[in-house]
Order: sequence, then C-alpha cells, then structure tokens
Amino acid sequence: MNKLLYVALNELLLLFKDRMAAVWMIILPLAMTTIMGLAFGDLGGGNDATVVDLPVVDHDRGEMAAMVLDVLSQTEKLHVETAYEEQTARQMVTDGKRPGALIIPSGFSDAIMSGQPTALELIVVPGGGTTPLLEGMVRGVTGGFSNVQTTLEVAISEVQRAAGSQAPDYEGIANRVVSTTLQRLENPPVRARVTTVGGTEEEDFDIFDQVVPGYAVMFAMFSVLGGAGAILEEKERGTFKRLLIVPLPKVALLGGKLVAQFLVGVLQIGLMFAFGTLLFHVSLGDSILGLVLLTLATCWATTSLGLLLVAIIKSRKQIHPITTLIILGSSAIGGSWFPLFMMPQAVQQVARVTLVAWAMEGYNRLMILGGSLADVSVDIGVLILYGAACFAIGLKLFRFKEA
Amino acid sequence: MNLVIVDNLHKHYGYRSAALRPSPKRFGRSGRGSGHGVRAVDGISFEIEQGEIFGLLGPNGAGKTTTINVLCTYTEPTAGEVMVAGNSVTARPQAVKRVIGVVPQDIALYPDLSAVENLRFFGRMVDVPRARLDHRINELLTCMGLTEHARRRVEHYSGGMKRRLNLAVGLLSEPRFLMLDEPTVGVDPQSRNAIFENIQALNRQGLTILYTTHYMEEAELLCHRVAIIDEGRIIALDTPQNLINTLGTGIIHIGIRDVSQRMLARLQALPQVRAVDRRDDTLAFETADAQRALLDVIRLFNETDKPMTSLEILEPNLESVFIQLTGKQLRDA
Repeated sequence: MNKLLYVALNELLLLFKDRMAAVWMIILPLAMTTIMGLAFGDLGGGNDATVVDLPVVDHDRGEMAAMVLDVLSQTEKLHVETAYEEQTARQMVTDGKRPGALIIPSGFSDAIMSGQPTALELIVVPGGGTTPLLEGMVRGVTGGFSNVQTTLEVAISEVQRAAGSQAPDYEGIANRVVSTTLQRLENPPVRARVTTVGGTEEEDFDIFDQVVPGYAVMFAMFSVLGGAGAILEEKERGTFKRLLIVPLPKVALLGGKLVAQFLVGVLQIGLMFAFGTLLFHVSLGDSILGLVLLTLATCWATTSLGLLLVAIIKSRKQIHPITTLIILGSSAIGGSWFPLFMMPQAVQQVARVTLVAWAMEGYNRLMILGGSLADVSVDIGVLILYGAACFAIGLKLFRFKEA
Repeated sequence: MNLVIVDNLHKHYGYRSAALRPSPKRFGRSGRGSGHGVRAVDGISFEIEQGEIFGLLGPNGAGKTTTINVLCTYTEPTAGEVMVAGNSVTARPQAVKRVIGVVPQDIALYPDLSAVENLRFFGRMVDVPRARLDHRINELLTCMGLTEHARRRVEHYSGGMKRRLNLAVGLLSEPRFLMLDEPTVGVDPQSRNAIFENIQALNRQGLTILYTTHYMEEAELLCHRVAIIDEGRIIALDTPQNLINTLGTGIIHIGIRDVSQRMLARLQALPQVRAVDRRDDTLAFETADAQRALLDVIRLFNETDKPMTSLEILEPNLESVFIQLTGKQLRDA
C-alpha cells in the first residue's frame, strides 16, 4: 500500500514539475471557459433556423385557450404539440427532450372574460438556448391578452361613464383610456409565469453554470487521459520496465498511476468549480454531496477509459490523436459545449455512449435545475458502471511487459 | 561458489502458440529466425562466481539483453534453468529481485526530476529503509561525482552524467549481483573511465557483476571471464587472455581465388599454421607465429603462381577471436 502511494505521489510530482501541465490544468480551461461563456451568453436566442417543439397542455379547453394555441401555431419558429399530459410534458423538459412546455390552466378563458387575473405557465430548462425565444413568444401572447382585456375594460367603463353626459369629452375619454390602460398594464391581468423544471427562478441561471462544468469535464479528460498516455511514455523510456524488476507488486505500480490520474481529474474539476464560483459566481446547486459523488464517478469513468485506451493503443504517437478525437467528439455531442437538448434527437441518442453526456446531465440537474442526490443517482450509477466496464476490459488487455 | 547458474537457457519470441513452438531439443542449427518466431537465446549455459565480473560480449541482437531480461525476472525463459543466489528466476522471482541490481541499456530515469528525486523514488521502490535513504543517496551521488548537480533536472544532464545516475539507481539496494547492460553506450571517454573505475571499485568490495558490451576493449579491461555470444549461442567462454591465446600470435586473412583442396592441405601443413578456414574468396589462418607463417604462405603462393587479392594481419584480441569464430566484425555483425 505504501508503494502504491509512493508511485501515485511520484506521478503527481511529475505532473507538477511539468510546466505545461499547469497551463493545461488552470490557465487554458479558465481562458476557454471565459471566452465561451461570454460568446454564448445569449446562446441560441437569435437562432432563426431553429424550429422548437413546444408541448402545450390545455387544462382550460376554452375559447381563449384555443386562441392561444392558434396564435402559437401560426408562429414559424414553433411546432406546437398538444398530445401530452402535463406530467409527460414536464418529464420531457426534465430529460432534455424538449426545451420547454406551456401549461394553460383550467379557468383561463373564464378569468379573461371576467377580467380576473390569470397566468400561462411556461416551464423551461434554465439557460436553454431557446428559452428567450419561448419566453418572448409566450409573453407576447399574454401581453396581447392583457392589452385587449384591459383596454376593453377601461373603455367600457369610460363609455358607461360618458353615457349620461350631454356633451361627452371624447378627447378626454381617449386620453383616460390610454393612461388608465397603461397604468393597469404595469400589473397585467394575464401573465406569463416562467418556471424551471426544478422549480428555481429562471433569472438565477447564468450561462457559466453550463460552461464551467462542461469545460471542467473536458479538461479533466485531457488531464486524465494525458496521464494515461504517460504510461506509454514510461514504457518507451524504460522506467516502467525498471519498476517491473524491483520488488514492487504490479498492483501497486499500475494502481499508483491510476490513483494519481483519478486525483488529477478530481483536482481539475475541483479547481474549475472553485474558480467558477469565485470568478463567475457559478451556482453549485443544493446538493454538494451529489456534486462530489458525481465528480468522483466522472473521474473514475475517465480514469478507467484511460486504462482501456492505454491497453489497446501501443504507442504515444498513436494515443495523442486518438484521445484528442475522443475528448473533443464526446464533448461536442455530450453536452460540454452546448446543452444536450440542442442536438438533433439522433445525436442525443448517440451521445449516451459517452461518459460526458452522463456527467453533464448530472451537473445540469444539480447546478442548473437544483436537483438532489436522488435526481442524479442514475447518472452516477451509469458512470460507475461505465468505469467498471472500461476498467475490467482495460485490465484484461493491459500488458505490463512487451512481448 | 557460483552466485548465478544459467543452464541451457532458451528464449523464443513470436510463436503464435505453445503448440507451434518447437521443442528446444528439436532446433536445427541453421536459421535462428526460421519458422514462425525468433530464437533470441538458443540454449546457453554459464555460471558466474561470487565476486566475479563476467562479460557477455557480442554484437547487437546477439541475445545479451534477452539473457539479462531473464536473469532479472523481466522475461520468462522458454526453457532452461536460471538460478540467482540459490533462487530460481521463475519459481522465486521476488527473492531474486531482492538481491539484484540492474542498469538497463536505456537511460531509465525521469528527466523532469532531479537526481535526488529520482534516487529517492527508486530507493523507496527497492525498499531502502527510510532512515538510511538520504545517507545512501548522498553516498551514491558522491561516488558518481554528481553531488554538485544533485538538484538539477536530469533532462539538463550530459549523456555521461545520465549514465552515471543510471548506474547509481541500480546500486541503491546494495545488491549482491549487478547486471550492467551496455552501460557506456553514447558516453564521452571521461565518463566512460569514471564508470569503469566505479565498476572496478564495486567489484573490489565484493560485488558480482554481469557486464554486457559489444566493445571488446571493455570486456578485456573489466571482465575476469568472457562469454562470446552470437545469434543466441555462446561460441566461446574463458578468461579474455585464454580466448586471445587461442589465436596464437595472430590471424592472417588473405584474399585469393580458386584454391584447390590440395593447396589447402599444403597450407595447413605449414609449420607455423595452426588452422586454415576458407570463407568464400578469403583464407583465414590461425598461426603460432604470424610473421613466419606469412612468409611461408606467400612463398607457397609464389611457387604455385597464385595471385593474392588482399592481405590483413589481425592483432590478437577479443575482436579477432570473434572474427575468427564467426567471420563477422563485432560492430557490424
């Protein structure tokens, strides 16, 4: 056990002696996170090419609800889906299958007709690329209803007041209608209530809540898989062979290196979250335990993937392009750069083979949706199994000695 | 007392399965790489006495490193028995690892670490007690003349300094048996001499050493006994002087065409000629007295009107022993 720790400590010492490692672990991730966070701060809001699938659950079934559906259906950027129950619609948003869902409450039409306040509920994934688009459209609809309802109400009231007058002051009536309407619209009767699937305030979301974990996972993969490549470097240099001919158990030799890679991954993600919290005020969510376990599971899966790659790939020249391809590919489709639900459905399915997708789903649930440990238990479980599978196959294929 | 016993060692690579691998007993004498694999070591036997410097002299690819790999437990032998300090390398590898030190041909060090950091890490790996480790590191740094550079990164060392540190790492555990695999490759003469002095001093303290090289001068200078190895087989084994003495006073190579059997018999019968070996268009004479033999040979060729195309007299040394035995140069064999 002591020797395993010495091997791990030596690996960490080698890492800290490597000046480029500091660039990879701290400077580059922070620079990339800042650039991407600023660049995609209004992510997707103006993406004209996007046609968004929007489930609308109509509990009202009234005339005004039909009007809402009609208005939304005529919008080019929306594809309104009315076939879902509320629970299904909410789950689809939670699962990232839809960017949002609209709930029309029962009594909506009656409230409008009787001048009572009411609200449409828009459920969104906070920070989703199409959230501003959806919010704008729904607020447009509710604003329209409010305008009509308020204007009519004020106008009718003024008309009733003027009905007994010999010489109605039409200019005064018009002015009062406009001013009273505007006054009342400060507190509009028909509102758009925008909530997140986790129930948090939508305004709390910051794009860095997506970008920081995304880049933390990506750069942790670079660090960990880079460390795995160092095993091949040691084999080529001869130090690995030298360690095989001293009284050092193989489990301590390989275990020490893997422990070091695992710790590097945890350190990388930890540093990114620490800097993210300090510099970008990233929200870490409500479950720190969930965050810690998810991070450990992610690093375990990444370390095991590294072992598998080192077992399959025979030289350093080969491993660098292959790991780069794997990391960038899985980051792109797995949700490190963009939320998973922005991808086409087929890509979302393919992304499930990457550990990034499970890690990012977990981080999004915890940090954006305010989920609990239970909410990310599946993600953690899958990552642990993913790691176990890679570890078992990698260990089976790993060759301590060259033929 | 023998510290190391190697008995009929075979190491074969590349056979797809044990079923395809020919039994060592059935190997022919030709085609080391014939069939589906390579016979890196092909039935070698030798013993190394306690306190001896034993040399394995041979060209690149002769099987020297493979032999060391088996002795240090890195490689399992295909057949044969190898014992180090009474322990079988296959049955008790951990016990063997505790008495050996290995200085590999590669500079097996961490270039980003300093000499002290390298020695401290490897010292822990070979179980140097924590209380003694710093003292042992200082001892070795002094011995290798590296004290002034102890805190510098190894990547900034010269080739010779790296070689000396490579040697120091092999000595950390104070082994009973040290294996040095071509330890002077690529070093300057000054560092080479320093390494020689270290090896001789260690041997005077009782350390048993296996030294592989393809430089015959090193084998002659350092080794008490030398095994000449070629194509996985030991072709001669004795003290350097005895091996050289087999050549008499020298070897003569004469280029000549169309030599008949009758002429060969006449050459063989010359009084100063011990043996004649015909290799293509060259005759190799092993002589008791090279100068007198040369005069006799030239006289005979003149009598029979045979023109010589080349003439070479080889100084008696291990290189010429190797050439005499294999017909090849050590460095380009």
